[in-house]
Amino acid sequence: MTVLVGYVPSPLGEAALQAAIEQAKFREEPVLVVNTSRGDAYVDPRFAQEPDLERVTRELTAAGVPHTVRQLMRGRDAAEEIVEIVEAEDVSLVVIGIRHRTPVGKLIMGSTAQEVLLRVPCPVLAVKAD
Amino acid sequence: MSGMTTRPDRGGDQPPRPPAVETSVPPIPEQPGAERTPDLPGAAWPATGDVPPTVLEPAVEDGPAPKPDRAQYGVCAFLALVGGLIIVDATTRIGHAISTADPIGPKPVPILLGVLLIIVAVIYAVDVARGGTGEPEAGEDVDLSSPIDWRTVLLLIGAFLVNAVLIDPLGWVISGTILFWGSAFALGNRHYVRNLLIAVALSLVTFYTFAIGLGVNLPAGVLQGIL
Amino acid sequence: MDNLGNLLDGFANVVTPMNLLFALLGVTIGTAVGVLPGIGPAMTVALLLPVTYGMEPVQALIMFAGIFYGGMYGGSTTSILLNTPGESSSVVTAIEGNKMAKAGRAAQALATAAIGSFVAGTIATLLLVVVTPPMVQFAISLGAPDYFAVMLLSFVAVTAVLGSSRVRGFASLLIGLTIGLIGIDAVSGQQRLTFGLPQLADGIDVVVVAVGIFAVGEALWIAAHLRRKSGEVIPVGQPWMGKQDWKRSWKPWLRGTALGFPFGAVPAGGAEIPTFLSYTTEKKLSKHPEEFGRGAIEGVAGPEAANNASAAGTLVPMLALGLPTNATAAVMLAALQQWGFQPGPLLFTRESALVWTLIASLFIGNLLLLVLNLPLAPAWARLLRIPRPYLYAGIIFFATMGAYAVNAQPFDLFLLLTLGLLGFGMRRFGLPILPLIVGVILGPRAELQGRRALQLSGGELHGLVGGWVSWVIYAVILVVLLWPLVGRFVVRPLRGRLVTG
Repeated sequence: MTVLVGYVPSPLGEAALQAAIEQAKFREEPVLVVNTSRGDAYVDPRFAQEPDLERVTRELTAAGVPHTVRQLMRGRDAAEEIVEIVEAEDVSLVVIGIRHRTPVGKLIMGSTAQEVLLRVPCPVLAVKAD
Repeated sequence: MSGMTTRPDRGGDQPPRPPAVETSVPPIPEQPGAERTPDLPGAAWPATGDVPPTVLEPAVEDGPAPKPDRAQYGVCAFLALVGGLIIVDATTRIGHAISTADPIGPKPVPILLGVLLIIVAVIYAVDVARGGTGEPEAGEDVDLSSPIDWRTVLLLIGAFLVNAVLIDPLGWVISGTILFWGSAFALGNRHYVRNLLIAVALSLVTFYTFAIGLGVNLPAGVLQGIL
Repeated sequence: MDNLGNLLDGFANVVTPMNLLFALLGVTIGTAVGVLPGIGPAMTVALLLPVTYGMEPVQALIMFAGIFYGGMYGGSTTSILLNTPGESSSVVTAIEGNKMAKAGRAAQALATAAIGSFVAGTIATLLLVVVTPPMVQFAISLGAPDYFAVMLLSFVAVTAVLGSSRVRGFASLLIGLTIGLIGIDAVSGQQRLTFGLPQLADGIDVVVVAVGIFAVGEALWIAAHLRRKSGEVIPVGQPWMGKQDWKRSWKPWLRGTALGFPFGAVPAGGAEIPTFLSYTTEKKLSKHPEEFGRGAIEGVAGPEAANNASAAGTLVPMLALGLPTNATAAVMLAALQQWGFQPGPLLFTRESALVWTLIASLFIGNLLLLVLNLPLAPAWARLLRIPRPYLYAGIIFFATMGAYAVNAQPFDLFLLLTLGLLGFGMRRFGLPILPLIVGVILGPRAELQGRRALQLSGGELHGLVGGWVSWVIYAVILVVLLWPLVGRFVVRPLRGRLVTG
């Protein structure tokens, strides 16, 4: 069993990561860090770069949690990727960061968090950035 | 990079939804040879890491397959055909109109052009037979390591044709909306609602600025009177 | 001095609110398309051509010139911050520029690129002012045979000098000439290659050709090989330069200008070659050769100056002779023809106000670009977040709109698609695009001049040879055409002898 965390290089992603580390320690399970991008823009601020990933691994190592970092760029949405991983692998908990979205914003942009919450077949821990 | 980090095979440049080929579960530092471009984060063109900036070649590096590109004979045939067509047109359809003011008339130039086209077609064919290949045009956003994605191209052509057929009856605002939405879909974007809103906004803005503001010819179609 | 007076008049014309607005619009659009990879100034000008019908030609030209210059500026931003050159002329900038950015000197790299572009653009535009009028004086004295020879030279130059394969270049040129042939023959009134289609009687609009080949063809080609990757953009603050940077930059700027301007002005010169030359020159002359490859500021300053200077250089033959030396100039010439101006030396005398206003707008545009680029570089970089599907869907959308707007007939859309597929095929088989577009634009004019020349000689071929100018040009053509042979039998043995000696 693993704890899956949907990571983005932002305070939100950091909060999710911290929560995932806590949960992993408590459950004595490894962490799977997932960071994705559709890869359809020249630049995607949600796609973690080298320094971000280094920081993530450093934090995980410091916490003494076994971990894997997986980056995906296959032209799909983050929600799809997470759902697929959860369905295919042994995931006990999904940790994601959430923030407020206006109804219009949700209509236009869609909501990754909502997709994950509704479609993932395992418990989801949703955290907010402070 | 830490040994625990796995990197995907960033060559996932397949059509929008590639079959789920998972790339990496075991913690290997990097995946050699998964695809051409060794992954660097950030790499429309490998942007980070220690790759020398001359990395401009990868795009060209494996253009056409090593086997001879026989489709090129098609180009030769096309050129010869066009050449023949011009000559036929010049000799049969163009009337005689030689006057003192124009001693050579309208025919010789097309005939010369036709002959040149046929000559170039032959030289081209010889070049191809000797193993000559044209380098497919590289570009900043062109990934030549993947084969031509015909599905996308055909969908785009489809969206284009739908617009060409509908523009007069339905008007630019509707046909343009369909065109933009269809093109974005063809290119792999799946935010249907958002795309529709953008498409409608774009069509309306262009219609008002260009057709009404600048007097460009764009049909109002069925929305005549409403817009 | 007469020209100075004309130029001042030009300035007076530019400094109206409307014209300034169009200059600003042009440089803004130009910078944007320069920043975005996959869309360049030639494509943009082609896309905007039809919508400018309702505008004053002067304003449209001011806007186009702004796009042309702006594209050169914008390309450097992407090169430096993303290592993805927005334009082919900024490829070299990426070499040192991106290394500088990674070393935390993005601000200095952007500054030297922007200020260097400004310096080079201004000096080169001054050179344009000085060089063009005498050239026009000379060109006016030429007769039909000389013109014919000049056009042949320009065909041969874009075909044989650029690109890796001459056969493919000639194939492209001939296709272009064929497209130019379609329609009613201007001299005899006979229909050629119209196949009885009334829509073809007026010929294929150059706008439709340009949009089809540059925009639709390019969009289809990119769509077929769409890159699905995201890059990393290096965060940057306000561009600035220290004293040391200024000291190291000013000479490369001047040398880059000196290299760029003449290359822009000769057929088949373009902006790529001088940027490479500038880079190697700076590398050789630098006091810090060890820094090259690790972020030397000279390697950004020189090439960026060179590509902007070449943009100004391109305008010399375009305005003086009506000869396009690159794709953007070709499309701008097409624009002039659309508005009913006859490109060529007479443009300067007949449309003096137009030309001088355009030239004056170049100075203004350069200044605007500096203002726009220096403080706003980080904002421009945000443009790179636009998803590619929107970008290319947008290109197809505007291409369709423009092509339809020319004649308001759906027939043009089918024509556009056909031309787009032609452009797609040419990119697939490595046929260069420029010879085709030059063929379409210059072909009919070359035929006209050739026939005019023959008319004087009563149809005898010697009519194609006029004064000494045409002899010189024919000789140059011969050298260009036979260059591979010359290379094999003259240059190589000579070099061999030198080496052994």
